[in-house]
Amino acid sequence: MGEHTVASFDEDLEQISKLISDMGDLAGSMVGGATKALLNSDNALAQRVVSDDVIMDARQRELDDRAITLIAKRQPMANDLRAVVGSIRMAGDLERIGDLAKNIAKRVGTVGLSVTPRDLSHSIDAMAQLVLIQVQGVIEEYAARDAAALAKLRNEDERIDVKYTSVFRELLTYMMEDPRNITACTHLLFCAKNLERIGDHVTNIAENAYYVLTGSQLPANRPKQDETAMSAPAA
Amino acid sequence: MKPMLSTDLNMAESVTEKTKIEVKNLNFYYGESKALKDISLSLRERSVTAFIGPSGCGKSTLLRVFNRIYELYPKQRAEGQVLLDGKNILDRSQDLNLLRTKIGMVFQKPTPFPMSIYENIAFGVRLYEKLGKGEMDGRVEQALKRAALWTEVKDKLNASGLSLSGGQQQRLCIARTVAVKPEVILLDEPASALDPLSTAKIEELIDELQADYTIVIVTHNMQQAARVSKQTAFMYLGELVEFDATEKIFTSPREKRTQDYITGRFG
Repeated sequence: MGEHTVASFDEDLEQISKLISDMGDLAGSMVGGATKALLNSDNALAQRVVSDDVIMDARQRELDDRAITLIAKRQPMANDLRAVVGSIRMAGDLERIGDLAKNIAKRVGTVGLSVTPRDLSHSIDAMAQLVLIQVQGVIEEYAARDAAALAKLRNEDERIDVKYTSVFRELLTYMMEDPRNITACTHLLFCAKNLERIGDHVTNIAENAYYVLTGSQLPANRPKQDETAMSAPAA
Repeated sequence: MKPMLSTDLNMAESVTEKTKIEVKNLNFYYGESKALKDISLSLRERSVTAFIGPSGCGKSTLLRVFNRIYELYPKQRAEGQVLLDGKNILDRSQDLNLLRTKIGMVFQKPTPFPMSIYENIAFGVRLYEKLGKGEMDGRVEQALKRAALWTEVKDKLNASGLSLSGGQQQRLCIARTVAVKPEVILLDEPASALDPLSTAKIEELIDELQADYTIVIVTHNMQQAARVSKQTAFMYLGELVEFDATEKIFTSPREKRTQDYITGRFG
């Protein structure tokens, strides 16, 4: 990509791109921290994730300000326009990922009081790892401007959906086995759902990033593997 | 299931639209130097087409071919075909006066005649039509209304055209063009010498005029091209680099040269 005749235009775009990258890093650290805190009943770590969300929100506001100012000042076109609008949308998804990680972190205290979560959540750990790889991957691939990798990453969300289904069933089994598990398992179920939602936001980011890089949209339909919506009430 | 994208619908619709001007393998020379290189494109009827590109790219030259105004100057010649409703206007047999009533032109700098507002419009009409006083009054009023100038000048039709502001003068020139009932209006940087408010009025006018006329606009202001046109042609060094739906050109152009130009990355 060549440089703009007006050098400060490049600087403005670079700052927005850096904010996305920072928000992506923060989102990764929040998701990683929240799940680690959950599995280890680590209240201090959970507290850090909760306070990180304040930083995330501030970054998003800064990005919005910069993007709006850039549009007003530069009237970006084509790939520049896509980059700015895409950044606003990606920042929205990253901010939501932060919220969902915070929500997981806030449950740490409640779950930890009843039982050792690790005993109840063998597969939630694996699911969290998948989600974390996706969160970190999407920002890396966007920074590397790799559209093909983003298209592939978007389809990887399917694996998270499959995992979510199995976590759902596992927790349901624990609840049926022993009603004293219900409180903890319900919280864990919300955590798993939050992780699954984080996966969906990563999918959105991948789609946006793909559009920013290529100018064309990925096909609307992606395979859906979350079966809990259908199987749950019948159980 | 997502709804069908509006761009898909637009493209489907565009197939059925009628071509007003078709340019085929057009070359243009200023003496020895070639200013247009093998240009081919179709302009839709009752639609606005914008030509953009850096200075010297040939966009104004192309516009000037459409009414053969270049013939006022020696050593300028065009080769190839420019079909207006299927008829080649570059033919020697083409009546130039008739051609210029069909294809009107408005220039960058407002060029009112040094006569009254009324006469500025009546003058051109008289060259082609014999109208009675009442009919002529009606034609002048209609043209001024069409150019969104009537309410501002209706009480001073005998004042000099030169007494108007720049924006008003430009609308007077558009009224003058519209008065002879053209089919195509060529606009060469029509708003580049005007303040933002006058520019907005010209753009609003273009929006209204496209219901009845085929409009071609040359502009250096890319936002203006993006706002007013349905299709945009990007030209560079006498070549037509890319010609597509305006929204496509300004959001995801195919050619790197187009992208570099519209994003301000050019050389």
